[in-house]
Amino acid sequence: MPRSTPSLDMTPMVDLAFLLVTFFMLTSSFRAPEPVFVDPPSSTTEMQIPKQVFLVTVDADGRVFIDLTNPAVKELVLKDMMRDFKVQMSAEEVKKFAGAGPIGLKMEAIPAYLELEVNARIKVQQSGVPYDTLNIKKSQLYHWAYNSRLRAHDDFKYREAEATKRGLPFDKENYIQFAVKADGNTKYNVLKNVIQVFREAKVKNFQMITGLEAKPKD
Amino acid sequence: MAEIQSNGGGGGGGKKRAKKQSTRVDMTPLVDLAFLLLTFFVLTSTFSQPKVLRMIFPEKLDEKDLKNMKQPEVKDGITILLTGNDKVYWYRGALNDKAVLEETDYTKNGLRKILVENNLTLLTQLRDFEKQLNKIDDKDTAKRNAIDAKVKQAQRDSKLVVLLKNDDKASYRNVIDVMDEFMICQIAKYFAVDEGMAPLEKKLIDLKTKS
Repeated sequence: MPRSTPSLDMTPMVDLAFLLVTFFMLTSSFRAPEPVFVDPPSSTTEMQIPKQVFLVTVDADGRVFIDLTNPAVKELVLKDMMRDFKVQMSAEEVKKFAGAGPIGLKMEAIPAYLELEVNARIKVQQSGVPYDTLNIKKSQLYHWAYNSRLRAHDDFKYREAEATKRGLPFDKENYIQFAVKADGNTKYNVLKNVIQVFREAKVKNFQMITGLEAKPKD
Repeated sequence: MAEIQSNGGGGGGGKKRAKKQSTRVDMTPLVDLAFLLLTFFVLTSTFSQPKVLRMIFPEKLDEKDLKNMKQPEVKDGITILLTGNDKVYWYRGALNDKAVLEETDYTKNGLRKILVENNLTLLTQLRDFEKQLNKIDDKDTAKRNAIDAKVKQAQRDSKLVVLLKNDDKASYRNVIDVMDEFMICQIAKYFAVDEGMAPLEKKLIDLKTKS
């Protein structure tokens, strides 16, 4: 009797488990390493974050970090910035920049930052993308916003044309939108100044990223 | 391998032993690992979905336009003032020496109560429309659109105007909280004032905090 231990065939279970693991691995995207910790306020909205965003991160000290979720467009914007501020970067560095996550440095400091190993980058104290409320059009943040807006528009037009050419459905909501992720403790006037720069670049529509909060019942 | 065979003794016996050994692999650790990974991916992928609140800012105006622009009149509205330390003040009507400033807070019985009380006409209208919508068939788009149009008209006709002003000390969290409160209370017309507080409003807050 002791010989007949109940053995269970676990093969189907393993099959299922690995199927699910593969599914979740492929569908989920990892959060990019963030150079700053930002704790956004919460709200009761149920609107999802757009698929493609130009992300403006503002931390509690008012430092501004920028990122673009579309790597191809991000490269194009960086090339525009290199032209505007006369900074030289190799094609390899441009590629690196596209995958580097949010960056809060002035243009001149970006090549040196990209030289570093990924782990060493986190230790760099970034001063934030410089902006100036008096001389807005000369500031780097204004140029980032302006170039991104133009490139985002081009990207949208290009994909629309491609879709109509091939007779495919085109998702109009899937264009690069401007999202702001700011720390709840940031002074609102600081944020207003940042947004002022974007408004100067004719960016008016913002998605403010917030944490989720339960909706109250009447 | 050779050693095992030599230890096994007789050739015939060795063969029999090899046959008896089962080819089953213990899959329990594999299942453990699979489910561990599964839980990890499930938890990390679904809970990190942030939500967004849309804010639309007007295009920047020239100084010429700014001079010609009239200050919004708030005869029938309320003004909310945000300042440091999560403090909120509000007053009704136009700003003058007679304006009565009152302190409130971000809780359910604070700001929300004030907004709901002032927005009762619109809220009851909206609730009526919602009841009508529930009675209508989902497929009856003509009727649905008619009610949607009525909702928009009611929002346009709403008399309540809420102004939001802040000073240097107010935080972003305060502003988002108030914006959220506007949405909960379905305020149709609200404006965040770009210039922030007027000097008189700052004075009123000073007086209020001292008393």
